[in-house]
Amino acid sequence: MPFYRSISSRRSRRRIKDGFDLQLTSMMDILVIIVVFLLKSYAVSTNAFTTVPGIKLPLSVSPDVPPDSLQVIITPEGMTFENQRILDFVQTASTAGTDEANYSFKPVDLGEGGRRIIPLFDALTKAREKAEILRSKSKARDAEGKPLPFEGILAIQADKRVNYDTIRRIMYTAATAGYRVFRFLAMKRET
Amino acid sequence: MLKRPTSRRKTGNQQISLNLVPILDTMVTLIGFLLFTMSFLTLVSIESPFPEANSADVAKKLKEKPLQLTVSVREKDTEIWSPFELIPAKTIPNPIPGQPDIRAIHEALVGVKQKFPHENKVVIVPFPGATYDVLVSTMDTVRVLEPTDPPIFVKNEKTGNDEPLKLLFPDVIFGNLLGDS
Repeated sequence: MPFYRSISSRRSRRRIKDGFDLQLTSMMDILVIIVVFLLKSYAVSTNAFTTVPGIKLPLSVSPDVPPDSLQVIITPEGMTFENQRILDFVQTASTAGTDEANYSFKPVDLGEGGRRIIPLFDALTKAREKAEILRSKSKARDAEGKPLPFEGILAIQADKRVNYDTIRRIMYTAATAGYRVFRFLAMKRET
Repeated sequence: MLKRPTSRRKTGNQQISLNLVPILDTMVTLIGFLLFTMSFLTLVSIESPFPEANSADVAKKLKEKPLQLTVSVREKDTEIWSPFELIPAKTIPNPIPGQPDIRAIHEALVGVKQKFPHENKVVIVPFPGATYDVLVSTMDTVRVLEPTDPPIFVKNEKTGNDEPLKLLFPDVIFGNLLGDS
């Protein structure tokens, strides 16, 4: 049986407007709230320190926000200086799924009776020389008209499983390369 | 002939719709930029200088005999002591090997601070196997005064008023960077 529409139903058919207007006001409200939230969160995330995947940082209650500086990142797998991998550790035992890290340096990477890390020393020296050249060309001068001295600050970002023996070697190596102040980085513990 | 009605009468019921599409575009771009550039990791730092000593400093120390508060973190216990024996040495056993009793160390150091309120330096001597997590928690416990700690007041030389301290021993130095211990 064929379907016939009555005349009255044809007349009552809705007429679609020529221009269809989407109501964007509620969407705008949501976006404004998101922008305000992001801008507020943005203010506390001003540092430019990068990190590496898989690193487990310890928590700290220190209130100090680190200013930008050169940084070395240490994980149980290796060491990264300014986003460049400078050495890999030797894995001495399987530590999968545990909180321990069993690693050691390659003998060729160590000098001065095991105190100095050679690839790190080379990278730090190169970075210091580069910084000193930039400072000598800069217009900023001290009271005597000399270029500003090299600050020698190194930020150390280590996995929480890395041991003090490694940190100690890094500090010794950095000190011999002219870096005298260390900033130990950690994640902020919310109190 | 009738006059043509004014256009003002016609506009009375018309709604003005604001074109929100460009604003929406800006918002979406701004959100994308903020999400891309913001860091979700809040980092903090603890500063420590490399220890430097010369013969003049050593001679001065031997003469003045400062507190030189030292916290030796060992695998089985932690010792709080002074090389010039200005405080009685205190040994705190670790509840778990390699994990110092942070709470007990903090309480002992608060007691030392009450006796030496002007002292700010502390020397930490960890054992080679101490993890970075232990180092950071030890530095935290020796540096920061908690709200639950008894207040320690120090006279401000400029104002002459007693002011509560906010930090315990903020200047942390590692004592065995060159040694084999």
